[in-house]
Order: sequence, then structure tokens, then C-alpha cells
Amino acid sequence: MDMPGYYEFCCRVKIISGHDALEKIPDTLAELNAVRPMIVTDKGVVGAGLIDIVVNTIGNRVNIGAISEDVPPDSDLRVVNSLARLYRDKDCDSLIAIGGGSVMDTAKGINIIISEKADDLMRFSGANALKRALRPLIAIPTTAGTGSEVTMVAVIKDHEKHLKMAFVSNFLLPDVSIVDSRTTLTLPPAITAATGMDALSHAVEAYTCLAKNPLSDAHALAAIRLISDNLLKVTVNPGDKNGRLGMASAATLAGIAFGNSMVGMVHTLGHSVGSVCGVPHGACMAILLPYGLEYNMHKNGHLTAELLLPMAGADVYAATPKEKRAQNVIALIRRMNKDLHEATGGRHARFFKEALDRGGKEMVPKERLPRISETALRDGSIFYNPEDLDYKDFLMVLEAAWEGKPLDMSMIKKG
Amino acid sequence: MNNFREVAAGKKWLKRDYVAIMMWFMGRAIQAASAVDSAVKKEFVDMPDSFTFALSVMPNGPHMIVEKDKRGLARYRGWNSEGKKIDLDMKIKNIEAAMLIFTFQESTALATARDRLVVDGEVAHACAIVRILDIVEVYLLPKIIAKLAVKRYPGWSFRRKYLGRVLIYVRTIFGF
Amino acid sequence: MYLPEHYEFFCPVKINSGNRALEQIPFELDALNARKPLVIARKDDSERGLVDVIIDAFKDSGVAVGIFDAVPSAPDLKLIRDVFNIYRDRGHDAVIAIGPVADTAKMLNLAVSGKPEDIEGCAGENLIKKRLKPLIIVPTLAGTGYEVSKYAFFAGRIYASHFLMPHLAVIDSRMTIPEDAVTTVATALTALTHAVEAYTCPGKNPLADAYAYTAIQLIIEHLVNVLRNQRDEAGRLSLANSHAMAACAFSNADVGVTHKLGKVMGDLCHLPHGLCMGMLLPHVLEREMSGGSYHISDLLLPVTGFDAYAGTAENLRARKAVEILRDLMKDLSKASGGAIPRTLKDAQVSEYALRDIAQEAVGNEAIFDMDDCLKILREAWEGR
Repeated sequence: MDMPGYYEFCCRVKIISGHDALEKIPDTLAELNAVRPMIVTDKGVVGAGLIDIVVNTIGNRVNIGAISEDVPPDSDLRVVNSLARLYRDKDCDSLIAIGGGSVMDTAKGINIIISEKADDLMRFSGANALKRALRPLIAIPTTAGTGSEVTMVAVIKDHEKHLKMAFVSNFLLPDVSIVDSRTTLTLPPAITAATGMDALSHAVEAYTCLAKNPLSDAHALAAIRLISDNLLKVTVNPGDKNGRLGMASAATLAGIAFGNSMVGMVHTLGHSVGSVCGVPHGACMAILLPYGLEYNMHKNGHLTAELLLPMAGADVYAATPKEKRAQNVIALIRRMNKDLHEATGGRHARFFKEALDRGGKEMVPKERLPRISETALRDGSIFYNPEDLDYKDFLMVLEAAWEGKPLDMSMIKKG
Repeated sequence: MNNFREVAAGKKWLKRDYVAIMMWFMGRAIQAASAVDSAVKKEFVDMPDSFTFALSVMPNGPHMIVEKDKRGLARYRGWNSEGKKIDLDMKIKNIEAAMLIFTFQESTALATARDRLVVDGEVAHACAIVRILDIVEVYLLPKIIAKLAVKRYPGWSFRRKYLGRVLIYVRTIFGF
Repeated sequence: MYLPEHYEFFCPVKINSGNRALEQIPFELDALNARKPLVIARKDDSERGLVDVIIDAFKDSGVAVGIFDAVPSAPDLKLIRDVFNIYRDRGHDAVIAIGPVADTAKMLNLAVSGKPEDIEGCAGENLIKKRLKPLIIVPTLAGTGYEVSKYAFFAGRIYASHFLMPHLAVIDSRMTIPEDAVTTVATALTALTHAVEAYTCPGKNPLADAYAYTAIQLIIEHLVNVLRNQRDEAGRLSLANSHAMAACAFSNADVGVTHKLGKVMGDLCHLPHGLCMGMLLPHVLEREMSGGSYHISDLLLPVTGFDAYAGTAENLRARKAVEILRDLMKDLSKASGGAIPRTLKDAQVSEYALRDIAQEAVGNEAIFDMDDCLKILREAWEGR
């Protein structure tokens, strides 16, 4: 095994996973010395009936201080501030976040304000600005997923000042993450597919980029295996409880992997497509993942090759000659996208030209690709990518990903 | 209890001096490159006015401070950060990590991947700084070392590589 | 892939490993809001220069360190009270433990996070209810393998709580200096047993597995080489990594048969627990193979790597994995010139003692079957 010259690895979140994990909420709160939680969630989660399930499971054992479903799809400073006020007004002493990435980030932001008794969140932005533990936070993810229930990062947007604030600190980690098959049972196929590919991109990039380490690798491999076994299954059959639990575990494992080993160009480009054209994160990841692996092939192809084992199983791995494995991994990911495209009735886009909004309008017009390339130059995840990308490289990858054509490997500049 | 003793931290003077000298070269080279190299010039044009960034060693320096002056070019502002408003501080966690970077045992990319640095400020600016550092390293270092320092050794024109290198060396040494 | 219907996992330990890892400690302390660490160590580790390495790593950090390097090999509560006084009087706010003083450090940390009188009441399982003050463990190769785990063995009692686990384990090759063969191997085999049992147990979970998988890989890859070549610095660093990882897995899995049997045998026959576990492991796994609820075929993956695993037919994987573990004991014995025993017989365990060991083991644990136990011991004795 290649032991890196230096690495760091940490995941301090307690994980409780199962078909009846929600039932552990009262005990969990008691262990954290919390008696009056505020539940932070969004309308989608409420609409799916999940808050009812949680409230019923908790029953009389816990005194819920407040429930707020006001979190928007994109974390918003105003909401963070108003929910912090609600927390204080209702005398709460802990937080339960039930939702996807935005709910998790919002809860983390609220936790900073109420724990530090601060009025200005900005003061704590950046890395390591927090110096001590925050109030108890229980995270219950409802997608599988962003993995934000196990990361020490929160991103909160200030829409008034057009700023994106990033917070990085070990103290932001939830104390406990409860992973229950019920929370993703009603996830619609298109979102299941997109969030599942998000998790896959986390695991794959953590395994193939510069900050990889043996522990995050082990988490990533397990995640990739679970996703390969379960994603298509639960997209086609949403009620598959075991499949849902598998995907939920995968998202947690992938979250731990990339939380420690970071990500690379797939996220660099994906963030930029997301911020310029509003395409959902998971959809961007799904489309760009094979391209990231193609572009970096001359630097990390030997690592990509190893992924054939968890993705396709031992028999296929053994039968595939070493030199062909990396190619096959990329083909498999494209195949997954194709299968998911069919299973979602065309809603899961295989390339950017196919990405349509609810009204059927194209979300990524070709003319915006230059703007997206410019934006990509400002994204820090590029630090961890094995190969460099300048404006022209970003544009080349985007054009291929827009069209849905494989990358022309001969055009890749290799120093 | 005579099995107890306390040891103060002291300082690693030789290593601090070495890093300080390397930072001096780097700061002046960035200043030179912003005047000579069009890619570096463009990066500075895109930065806000009076933008100041620093490369620092925790906890107490040495530092390298560079500012965007009124002409839009980089100006090396020395090693002392006192009283200056730093917009972007790339902090190396300790002197040993700084040694690894400045003896080219760990490239900027590797040092970042190995958690040797903390970035205080906007990441978008940090990306620009890293691109600038890469270009400056290609100018300053022989290819065999520069290839260790950067991810992708660029294929520059003869003019950029050799003429540029001479100009940057001269400007670095003479400070203009 | 096996996924249990319900599992829980908690590992609060951060692992920093590699070149110049020690120099990152001041930064880590600051992140934990600590500014004045107290380093504790044994006299002999101090004499071997290990404390000086830490002092040097703190140079230029602006952080002064206190050093107490007289931890005896059988510490008691009086020692804890004495060091507690130093910690409190000198205004320390973190503990850094070097190598085998981990248990003492955990007790000290318990004391300084409350008061020394609290300690004894916390003996047992999960009686500590809150986070403790910052604790950093810097492992050497002379340990027990439990340093990073949730366990502490102190003054004859066992303490088990996730809150005892260190905030940070720093693995640096300047600290993993070579030790004698028996110590090195015993610790590694303890770690290997813990990792293998966590990885193959019926209720295994994917999070503990990630730690166990990595630990197994590292030990199989490096143990014999380190034994053959003391100068293999990379190998020693990898072993230290595996100890920490195995401890994390072990703290989140059921205690297995090999561990229990090995411990009983070690106590009765005055042998290092790790060696006992190593000799017993292949035989326990053999027995578990016939059961069907243990995940032994999975073991082949970390033991041989992707290509060999994929190239082995599914129904042959468990057998092959066990073979390799048997060969490991053979290789260790050879590489150490016989200092590491391969069989219980080689270890001078009397044949008559086997029944005593079985009786003691079965007496302690209702799950053991006397026949099975004896069969395992006999096979391990003969080295079949």
C-alpha cells in the first residue's frame, strides 16, 4: 500500500444506522444532556411526512422546543439568523437537523450563532475560527447524499451582500448522525439518482485525488461498492428498505472519505456549473465524473483501475486486463448514468445539453460555458486535483460534457 | 517533584533565517514577474485595489507580504506584518512545514494536500496566488526542481522562458 | 456486501501520521483551545531520547511544555494524584502521552477533567458521561495495542468508554524506534487479532471495517519485514498506524473468541497476550468458518490485495485467508530465529495446561463450548 508521506484523518461523529434508528433520538438527546431540541428542516421533508414520523417516534419522551421548516434550497444567512432567534425565544438547548445539505449547513450556522452568542456569523468564517464545542447537534440526512452530516464544513450564502461564507471547523461536526432507511424511502427517482451520484463522486474523487490516505480509501471503497450494488435498485424500486439503508450508509462513508481527502476537478467544474446555471449539484457530479477520470487518467489511471473491483465485482475485475480497467470504470459510470436516465424517465441528465429545468428549458446554454470556465478558476478544490487545469482545459472538458462525447485524450496537456 | 521540568519553546534561528531569505526572493520575484509576465500581470489586474496577501509561518513568522500597488503591479512589502491589513494570509502551520516547502520536498499542491497550510481569506484569491507562485517557481528554478514544485511544467516559448527568466532574476536581485 | 440491520459507531480519535507529524501538535492543541501541554513518559523512554524529540518538535511554536518522565511500570492512584497536582498547579490544559503510558494518561485525563476521587467510580463500561480535556497520544512500537482504544487497564481494573479515547494520535517515525522482536510482534498480533475479529464478526459494520481493513493490510504487508530489518522505518510507521486503526475498530466491535481465549491463556501461562492471540487466530477462524455467520471470505481482500482476491474462487477465499495467517506465524518464527513461537508447544505451554485454559475460558464466558475450545487449543498446540 502507498502510505502517504503525511496524512490526517478524523471523523468524530457518532453514527447510528438502522431501520429503526430514529427511535434512538430520545436516548441520544439524553446522552448529550439535551432536553429541549429545535428541529430544523425544510418544506420538502415535512411534505414527505418525515417530521411526523420523527415526532411520533419521539412521542412524549422529548419536549420539542420548536420546529421550523423555513430552510430554503440554498442556505441563506437571513434564515440562519431568524432561526437562531427562534431558538433563543423558545429556550431550546440543542438542534436536530432533518434534511439535505442546505438544512445541515443552516443548522451548523445556527449552532455557531447560538453557541457563541454572536450577532455576526461572518466573524467565524474561514478555517479554525471556532475554539470550543457548540451546542448538541443531531443530524438526520434525508438524501443519500451530500454527506454533510459528517463534514466539518458549512457554506452559508449572504444573498444581500452576494457573498458565500465558508466555515471550516471540527466543532461544526454534528455530535450524532442518525441514518434510518425511512428517511429516504419517499425520495423521488430523479433526486435519488442525483444524490446517489453525488455520493459516488465524493468517494471516487477522495480515492483518486492528491490528499488520499489509507483510511479514507477504505471508506471510499466501501461506499463505491454499496452505491454500485444499490443505486439503480432504489431508483427503480424506491421502497426497497435494504437498498435505501445501503445508499444511506454509502453516503455517510463517502462523506467521511471526502471530508478527509477532499475532492478535485469534478467538484471544481460542478460547483461552477451549479453557481452559473443553477443545475443541482448531484446532476453536475453525475455528468462530470467520467470526464474528471478521463482528464486525470495520465496521472491517476492506476487508481481509477482499482475502482473496478468495488464497482463491478471480483469476477469482472479478475477477467479484465490491468490496462483496460480504468477505461472500464469510466464506461461503467457512463452506463450508470444511462441506466439512471432510463429509470427516471429521462430526468437524470447524461450530459449538460440534456439538463432541463421544470419547464423543459435547457439549463446550460452552450454560450455560458466560457463563463463557467472562468468561474472554475476561482474554486479551491482544484488544489487537490492531480493535474492542472487552465481556462482552456476547463472549457475543453465542459464542451465534451455538454455534448456527451468522451474526452479527446490526445488534447490533454501533460507538462 | 523533581521528576518534573518545564521547557520553553525557544526558536529555530537557522531555519527561520533560511525561510526568511527564500521568502525575500519569492516576494521580490513576484514583484518582478508582475511587471514582466503577462499571465501574472493579468492575475493582479483581476484582484481588488490595494489587495495585500501574505505567506506566513505560524506562530511568529517569518512573513512575506505582497501588495497590489496603485499601478496594478505587485509590490513586495517585506517580512513584517505589523500594522498591515492582510486580505489573504496563507499560513504555514510551523517552521518545519515551511522548510519542507522551501527546500522543495513538498510542492505547494502536496503541502496543501498534506494539511501543512491554512488559508485565511477568500479561496478564489488563494487560487490566483497559487497560480502566480507556480509561474514564479518555473522562472526561478531549474527545470528539474521546478518539475517537483509545480503540477504541470508548462511549455513556454523560448522568449518567455529565457528572456523572461533573465529579466526576473535581474529585477529580483535589484528590487525593481 | 454485508450491512447489519442496526449498528452504532463512534471514533473520536484524529490520526495524524507521517513526516514531521509531531510539529503539527501545537496547531492541533490550539484548535482544541489548549496552550500548555504536560508530556508524560517513562524514564526509559526519556533516556532513549523520545522526550527530547517532542521538545524539539515544540521549538519555535511559542508553546512551553511541562515534562513528567517518571511514570513507573505499575502506576497507582497515588501517582495519578501527584501528577494531577502538577497539572493543576502549573496551569496545564492538555496531556501528551508517549507510548506505553497511555493508560496512565487516560486516568490522569479523567482526574483533571473532574477530580482524582472520581476515577474509581468510572471503572467498568460507559460510566464516563462527558468529554474529557485534550489528550494526545504519541505511540511507540512498545505498547499493548490498546493505547488509542476506549480501554484503560489501571491498578487491576478495566475502564471502558469512548470518552477515554485520545483526541489525537500522532504517529511519527522518530518515535517508532525499533523494539525487541517479542514486543514488536506481540503488539502487532494483538492489533491483527482485534482487526480480524472486528472484520469477520457476524455483526460487523462498514465503519469499523474501514479501520480494520486498513490495519490488517498494513500488518500483513509490513510485520515480517520489520522483524527482518530493524531499519525499515516506513514499515515501523505503518505498523504504528495499524495499531491505532485496530484500536479504533476494536472499540466499535464485539470482543471476539481469539481475544478472550488469548487473554486467558496469556494470563495462565505467563505469555504475552498478543503472541497467544496470534497462535490461536488461524484455528479459531477455522472453527468459525464452518458456522456460516462469520465473514471470513471477506478477509482475503485486505490480506492479499485486489488481484489475488479477485482471482480466487469465492468458495476458496476463507480457506486461503486462514492459510495466509498460518503462514504469517511460520514466517515470524523463522524471521525471529525462533524467538516468536509458532505453536503453543513451541511456546512451552504444557499439554496438561490446555484443559485448564479451556476450563477458565469457558468458565468466564457462557458462549464457549468446552469441546470446541479444547479442539482449538489442541490444534494450536500441535500447529496443525
